[in-house]
Amino acid sequence: MEPDHTLKWGRLSACGRPSGRPLPRRRFLSAALIGLCRKTDRPIAGSYVNESDRPGHRLRSRGPLRAPLEEVRVPLVIVGGGMAGLSAAWRLEKRGFRDFLLLEMEDRLGGVSRWGENDITAFPWGAHYVPVPGPRSTLIRELLEDLGVLAGGHFQERFLCHSPQERLFLHGRWQEGLEPVVGVTARDRDQYRRFEERLEQFRATGQFTIPADRGARPSPLDRISMADWLRQANFTSPYLHWYVNYCCRDDFGALAEDTSAWAGIHYFAAREPEEKGPLTWPEGNGWIVRRLEQRLGRFVRTSALVHRITRAGPRLRVLTESTAYTADTVIFAAPTFLAPYLIEDAPPVGGFEYSPWLTANLTLDRWPRQAAEPAWDNVFYDSPALGYVVATHQQLGRQPERTVWTFYWALAQGAPARARKLLLDADWNYWKAAILDDLARAHPDIRACVARIDIMRMGHAMIRPVVGSMFSEERRRLAALDGSLLFANSDLSGFSIIEEAQSRGVEAAERARRRLGGRP
Amino acid sequence: MTALIFISVFLIAACGLIYELVAGALASYLLGDSIFQFSTVIGGYLFAMGVGSWLSRFITRGLVARFVTIELMVGLLGGFSSSLLLLAFAYTPGFRLGLYLMVLAVGVLVGLEIPLLMRILRHRFELRDLVAHVLTFDYLGALGASLAFPMILVPKLGLARGALLFGIINAGVALWSTYLFRDQLPRPARLRASCLLVLAALGAGMAGAESISSLAEASLYADEVIFARSTNYQRIVLTKWKDDLRLFLSGHLQFSSRDEYRYHEALVHPGLAALPWARRVLILGGGDGLAAREVLRYPAIESVTLVDLDPEMTRLFSSHTLLTQLNAGALTAPRVRIVNADAFPWLEQAGGSFDFAVVDFPDPTNFTLGKLYTTAFYRMLARRLTARGAVAVQATSPLFARQSYWCIVETLKQAGFQVHPYHAYVPSFGEWGFVLASLTPYRPPDKLPAGLRFLTAAALPQLFHFPSDMGPVQVEANRLNDQVLVRYYEQEWSQITP
Repeated sequence: MEPDHTLKWGRLSACGRPSGRPLPRRRFLSAALIGLCRKTDRPIAGSYVNESDRPGHRLRSRGPLRAPLEEVRVPLVIVGGGMAGLSAAWRLEKRGFRDFLLLEMEDRLGGVSRWGENDITAFPWGAHYVPVPGPRSTLIRELLEDLGVLAGGHFQERFLCHSPQERLFLHGRWQEGLEPVVGVTARDRDQYRRFEERLEQFRATGQFTIPADRGARPSPLDRISMADWLRQANFTSPYLHWYVNYCCRDDFGALAEDTSAWAGIHYFAAREPEEKGPLTWPEGNGWIVRRLEQRLGRFVRTSALVHRITRAGPRLRVLTESTAYTADTVIFAAPTFLAPYLIEDAPPVGGFEYSPWLTANLTLDRWPRQAAEPAWDNVFYDSPALGYVVATHQQLGRQPERTVWTFYWALAQGAPARARKLLLDADWNYWKAAILDDLARAHPDIRACVARIDIMRMGHAMIRPVVGSMFSEERRRLAALDGSLLFANSDLSGFSIIEEAQSRGVEAAERARRRLGGRP
Repeated sequence: MTALIFISVFLIAACGLIYELVAGALASYLLGDSIFQFSTVIGGYLFAMGVGSWLSRFITRGLVARFVTIELMVGLLGGFSSSLLLLAFAYTPGFRLGLYLMVLAVGVLVGLEIPLLMRILRHRFELRDLVAHVLTFDYLGALGASLAFPMILVPKLGLARGALLFGIINAGVALWSTYLFRDQLPRPARLRASCLLVLAALGAGMAGAESISSLAEASLYADEVIFARSTNYQRIVLTKWKDDLRLFLSGHLQFSSRDEYRYHEALVHPGLAALPWARRVLILGGGDGLAAREVLRYPAIESVTLVDLDPEMTRLFSSHTLLTQLNAGALTAPRVRIVNADAFPWLEQAGGSFDFAVVDFPDPTNFTLGKLYTTAFYRMLARRLTARGAVAVQATSPLFARQSYWCIVETLKQAGFQVHPYHAYVPSFGEWGFVLASLTPYRPPDKLPAGLRFLTAAALPQLFHFPSDMGPVQVEANRLNDQVLVRYYEQEWSQITP
């Protein structure tokens, strides 16, 4: 495979590096010699954190909530402080519209882009990179320019993912890049090439764009799954199937068997990066959240759980536990499936299926012994999980002795409701053991390295682009609403990517501004 | 008969001393500080011999059989001691513990030998003669061993095979004793079989010693290892052969004392001599203090800031006599300030600006080192320079790693520098490349400091000419997000090294 061809985000080098490094010192030998007993596995601390579903569940179960104490009149309220809500606020502030408030139910902004920090490093709890935008993705480029990531037409080198970007543990050893190259046959490689050519054809149609609305036309591809499409196009390579399935799980939390072929192809065909990327930071997209928070903090109310939105004549009343906001316009940037639980006479919201996810941040007191240099993204072939990302990877200096790994696991297998139940019913020890077992495939000594595992469960982490969902009439209608209630979550696009969240947020901000008489 | 008995005493005494010397020498080579090593090894060994002598009182029956068995054990343990310790050093962190366990075990066994032998012989000689003769030959054996060890054994056989040879001698004495004292030995056949077995094992060890020691780190180096230490960041190994002192960091040669002046003069003077107004110099890497030594030749230089990651490295080169002689005490000079820090984050955070910088990092063998050769790194370095400042960068070999060399040139260029590539011949490295990168136009200096051994002002412009086999090639710049340099480097050096 040519080293410069484009799959996933950016150029993936396919050349495997020979491991020409000296043998590691055989410490076990010395242990035997000295007569020390093998260090037993250490106790590992940790717990579930950021139980975002808890306040959310209170909403849905309509549990007892206090009556608000304070009345506030404000022209515009944004509900939800994830990337969509923040993007709406970003646009409003940039256009000089400052009569608005953003309400976030948690104590911290970010939504799926939230982040954490310990004495070693900041780390992501969810979305952790931005694919390098092509020249036509003007909106995301504008944001990156504002944040100093893009200057003079060049991306700041330090924010681009440093080499080595990705590696895959396959057949007992690490290879560079995620496309399997160890043990593949000429036939597999041939199919990789043909797959790449097919993607190039799709790219040329101009229908696969970011944001998706710009080029999308209803397509029969939405009626079959990505896996079906591969089979129909005579792609039989198990390695290619693994790779495509991995990408679907990674980006959508869904198996290729469940993912709409249109969405799957969009993932591969929509991006034309001009740089080897992606863009990433220790705290993942939390870095963007932090920068936006610095700029927009004065509009933000955190720990403001909106539990009801009612009509009051032409206006809307947005109720939190402490305050009743009366607003001319509300941008609903929270996940759209919450609308029926919150909004009086909400428009119908059906057919929204979400993927449950689990994210774990592992604090390592030392690195596992391994011959190769760790990459940013480290993936295991044939694992049900998605691998881990090294939070300290983007540091300019050497990797510190202690580090944090963010472990991602989309519960893609089976019906989302069942997977969600497993996610929420199992205790922390269950997931701890599962995560360590998974990591031990490549790092047999992982249990001796990890001091702490904090786990965050997200029952509805991202919309799932299942077969037949991409051109849903209902979603189109919600997105097009242009009254006092505007919807802005990325789930309206059918898949949750930062560019969709941003463009939905900005679009809603523009509508609100027009409605409220802002300058054009 | 009597003569043969005392030759045995001579030989086992020699063997005993050889094992002690082997342990002492190995410890000094591998751990450094030979006074401490020899002192503790000799002390421990003598103490263990005392323990052995005391233990001999508990052996009451079958003295000859016991003596033969002990000889065999000494032969085996002592003979393989050197090989085992070398392997322990290469593959375990427990070398020191292994060393002293070995010293104690061999010492106890050797301590048993002479008391047992004297008791075996007590009916054949007057006590007066016995003590006099046994001890005479014991000390003679020690003299023979102590002369043979440095003059024949180490130079001809090396430590591993030398120890094995004396193990064979021990086992030979055991076999011989089964004949000498056959009247006191009820069943000699079994003991003789054991002797042959041990001899065979040691003989096989002798034959295989080459491959055993090739497993051990010491044999990775052509010369005698005089210092080796694993720090948090790297493995520092110093080797010495006659007057040639060599430094290896994680297995890569950093300098040879016989020709390092060529490298360091070429690294520093073409740039610094052209900046007579320069006052403040930054050295990144170069914890050996050799670049600093060259910088200190300029009286006008007011301060030198040397940033090296590894405190062990700068400590070693500030304190070890052999090394401070080499760097002329540069690291303890009042004008030099040492900072032990990771250069990239240090550059980002440190204040101050510099007129001239020397970048002397190890070659880009991995992505961690490769970061120090990126456009991002050089841009950050440029911000630390004064308006007319310049940088000299060591840039691997333009002959053996042509793409790598020109990649570094291209990277500096894309980082905004004017680049002036040059090269010099350093025998222990081969043809070596440097890049002078400046913010304003550069002209080679007309005058160089006094006392240089390699460079002359007249010959300096020649360094900037590249013959066609090392001339520029089309390469990409090395960037944090696309470290092409590490790939070029690995590919190019793998073609010329096995």
